Amino acid sequence: MVPSEIETLGDESDHRFANLRGVRWRLNLGVLPFHSSSSIDDLRKATAESRRRYAALRRRLLIDPHLSKHVRNSPDLSIDNPLSQNPDSTWSRFFRNAELEKTLDQDLSRLYPEHWTYFQAPGCQGMLRRILLLWCLKHPEYGYRQGMHELLAPLLYVLHVDVDRLSEVRKSYEDHFTDRFDGLSFEERDVTYNFDFKKFLEDFTDDEIGGIQGSSKKIKSLDELDPEIQSIVRLSDAYGAEGELGIVLSEKFMEHDAYCMFDALMNGAHGCVAMAGFFAYSPASGSHTGLPPVLEACTAFYHLLSFVDSSLHSHLVELGVEPQYFGLRWLRVLFGREFLLQDLLIVWDEIFSADNTTRTDEDNNTNQSYKIFDSPRGALISGMAVSMILCLRSSLLATENAASCLQRLLNFPEKIDVRKIIEKAKSLQTLALDDDVRSSALSINDGFDQSVSPAVPARTNSFPSGSTSPKSPLIIAPQSYWEEKWRVLHQAAEEEKPSPSVQKKKPWFRVKRLFRTESEPTHNAKSSNGKSEVKVSSAARNLLEDFNRQIVSEPEEANPIDVVNNEDSSIRETEEINTDFETAGEESIAIEENSSDVSSDPNSPLRDSNYIENDTDSSNESDLFPNETVKDQETRVVDSPLSISSQPSMEFPVNQSKDQETDVVDSPLPVSSQPSIEFPVTQSHEEEDSADKSVAIVKERSKVLPGKFQWFWKFGRNLAAEETRSNSGESSKSNLVGSSESHSLPQASSSCSKGDADQKVMNTLKNLGNSMLEHIQVIESVFQQERGQVQAGLIENLSKTNLVEKGQITAMTALKELRKISNLLLEM
Amino acid sequence: MVLVLALGDLHVPHRAADLPPKFKSMLVPGKIQHIICTGNLCIKEIHDYLKTICPDLHIVRGEFDEDARYPENKTLTIGQFKLGLCHGHQVIPWGDLDSLAMLQRQLGVDILVTGHTHQFTAYKHEGGVVINPGSATGAYSSINQDVNPSFVLMDIDGFRAVVYVYELIDGEVKVDKIEFKKPPTSNSAP
Repeated sequence: MVPSEIETLGDESDHRFANLRGVRWRLNLGVLPFHSSSSIDDLRKATAESRRRYAALRRRLLIDPHLSKHVRNSPDLSIDNPLSQNPDSTWSRFFRNAELEKTLDQDLSRLYPEHWTYFQAPGCQGMLRRILLLWCLKHPEYGYRQGMHELLAPLLYVLHVDVDRLSEVRKSYEDHFTDRFDGLSFEERDVTYNFDFKKFLEDFTDDEIGGIQGSSKKIKSLDELDPEIQSIVRLSDAYGAEGELGIVLSEKFMEHDAYCMFDALMNGAHGCVAMAGFFAYSPASGSHTGLPPVLEACTAFYHLLSFVDSSLHSHLVELGVEPQYFGLRWLRVLFGREFLLQDLLIVWDEIFSADNTTRTDEDNNTNQSYKIFDSPRGALISGMAVSMILCLRSSLLATENAASCLQRLLNFPEKIDVRKIIEKAKSLQTLALDDDVRSSALSINDGFDQSVSPAVPARTNSFPSGSTSPKSPLIIAPQSYWEEKWRVLHQAAEEEKPSPSVQKKKPWFRVKRLFRTESEPTHNAKSSNGKSEVKVSSAARNLLEDFNRQIVSEPEEANPIDVVNNEDSSIRETEEINTDFETAGEESIAIEENSSDVSSDPNSPLRDSNYIENDTDSSNESDLFPNETVKDQETRVVDSPLSISSQPSMEFPVNQSKDQETDVVDSPLPVSSQPSIEFPVTQSHEEEDSADKSVAIVKERSKVLPGKFQWFWKFGRNLAAEETRSNSGESSKSNLVGSSESHSLPQASSSCSKGDADQKVMNTLKNLGNSMLEHIQVIESVFQQERGQVQAGLIENLSKTNLVEKGQITAMTALKELRKISNLLLEM
Repeated sequence: MVLVLALGDLHVPHRAADLPPKFKSMLVPGKIQHIICTGNLCIKEIHDYLKTICPDLHIVRGEFDEDARYPENKTLTIGQFKLGLCHGHQVIPWGDLDSLAMLQRQLGVDILVTGHTHQFTAYKHEGGVVINPGSATGAYSSINQDVNPSFVLMDIDGFRAVVYVYELIDGEVKVDKIEFKKPPTSNSAP
């Protein structure tokens, strides 16, 4: 039963114990120190230590009520009798353990029937039972779940194999295993120290092969032995470090070692992938999907599959084959049921040799991606799952109903070449670890982020929000305009694959970032989604939103609005706003993460302030079913003027002039594709008005008017309206807006001089983009309303609550329109 | 680790209505492996109730039992112990240790369980144990009007038996413990 030798790459440790799976796995799992510099002695010490811990645990937890040590010193018989109902009594614990053991036995009796000679032997069963019982008692939060026994069984098996190997080596090199006490070798029957010197010397000279001389010769040349044998000898030397407890390959302590390996496997040894998590029913803390870890991992490898083989993925999704139908079994038992035992050992060799430490990227938030991708081991597990699915590709594609697909997946063929699957899995592992995959996973995770709004998780599946996550505000040096542009396009192209709708939003994010870094108001075309013009619009939006945020939070915080007002650069403004809004922004950030698909500015790689601002903004937008609130609309109002004004648009020279027009406009609706602008304007202070207006705006959305001109005109009107309306409640706000607008307008006009080309094309695109923006803003406003309620809590609530329903409806409509637009754009 | 419940002389429904509720709450199914009953249940309903606590029920005939099919004596082996069961109204004088010892020798058992006196007793006698679990319901007897409900739980583990006595005194369940080790006999394996 010698395990097949596997060429493991990498560590010296692997080479040291290439044939000893038990030792190698213990190294990989973290039971034994993994550093290649650890000597045999270190290994022995670690082994002894872990065994002592297990022995102590066993003594403590295995209850035998008969033994007096379990009974308290003065046993109170009314408590400690067998029929006692008291849960603390030793007997109660004993009976509870007995119950657990009964459950265990049900599973253990059915373990590996094809290897029943080993696994069904009572000694082995007893060991498995005890190990599982103790682990479950030690981890009551998990309890015992079916499948844990199948994780434990191969671990015990490899230890057993190692011990067999040891006994083989003993037989062939028995001289080395004789009792080398004091460096002398004693013959077995050497009871008295009657040494026949003469005979000894004769033997010494005559006997060349066996006997004492042979032994002494061999002993002297221990170091010349095959290093593997050498290490086996030293590992099992009873007089080495820690004595008998330190014999690394020991039959006596197999139970101890198996427990330590099992514990390390379940805990993940402080790494990323903890098998115990796969048995939990509740989402892990810090999980971004809000799903139990096993479901999250299933979605993760499906996601990976979609990258690698989207046709198969879509085929499976169409048929309704959810990954957890088969993935649950695959993951919980680490493919134990899919492969024969020998093949499984090979697979586990690979999986365990992959490092399990959680990757901490500076750019990426580990929080944002699927947790399973955060470590090479997790990525390899997902890669393995995907490569197994790919192995069955042809038969899966041939079936047309889910049941037969599942049948094929659940009855994995036995006669397969495991190595090929492993090779494929390794390549997929690198892919899974690749940032792009992880970042695209973010979009999915955005939906699942813990957010204030409960409705968010439902729809998130759309957009990759970019590689930076809101949680890691970074200060990145501003990149040049063209670099950003390229990046945006590149990302946009990448996003093509996962979902068409993704495209729409992503560039917007990028654009926003782009413009923020530039600290130069570039006018946003707001036309095309997938094109660079979008960048402009998103940047504009950012600025707008900054101001929105500012205004929104005004009732909540005392904003040094004046300071903001005076800033010229949009970035400075945004920064100010951000600092003001930081607290307000935090929640928004959380929400933003969720709804990044909807929001246009999810991630700002630029600055913390920008980032936070974006967050609040996107959070406003992101809430999918928020109620339109006055706040939102206010923010919109602010944003749109800002964005428009601050962004240099190639096409808006005319518009700029129009911006200057400030008409008092009471209803934002009228127009065109720029309801977004109108929308915010109308909102500003009158709650009911805003609600109506938002509704109207939504209706307006359907009209796609060519219209930068109109848009800007309206913008101008809105601005004016805003100013006029400020009196109702927040005059300061409007002033702020006004001043910011005035700031931005000059800026915009200056920047407008760039780029006059492609106006017509741009127009149509812009219209579409604008309408999308509007929808986003609607949603944002609704959300903002809700946020406002949450955050302010005090100020606006009464009136706003009335709008909640209306807001929801509008948000829904807005979303639908948004989708239509995105489809349209796709077609284009 | 075998738990054996020994009880008897319930006299339901003639002299007592039912087991005391505190006893009933302690007797949950699943913990006990055997029940040995000295008799005088008297009706089938109690027989069924005892069956729910443990399916392995051994019962002997008492003079008031309505089911005439129960045997007079019974022996069984649990762990390393041989147990003997008899109601005790056949052994005269009632409750006399020497006469019971005679019965014990006659049956050839290590532990003899008898009843009828409605009084808990446990004697270690001549290398064996004679146990009387008393009356589980506290029913009056012809010799004793004031009877405390009591029963016995034996924990048999190889050569060692621990006898727990549960008595309901003044409304409280009192527990007492007696340990008994059977000396390995000469005809056991070396």
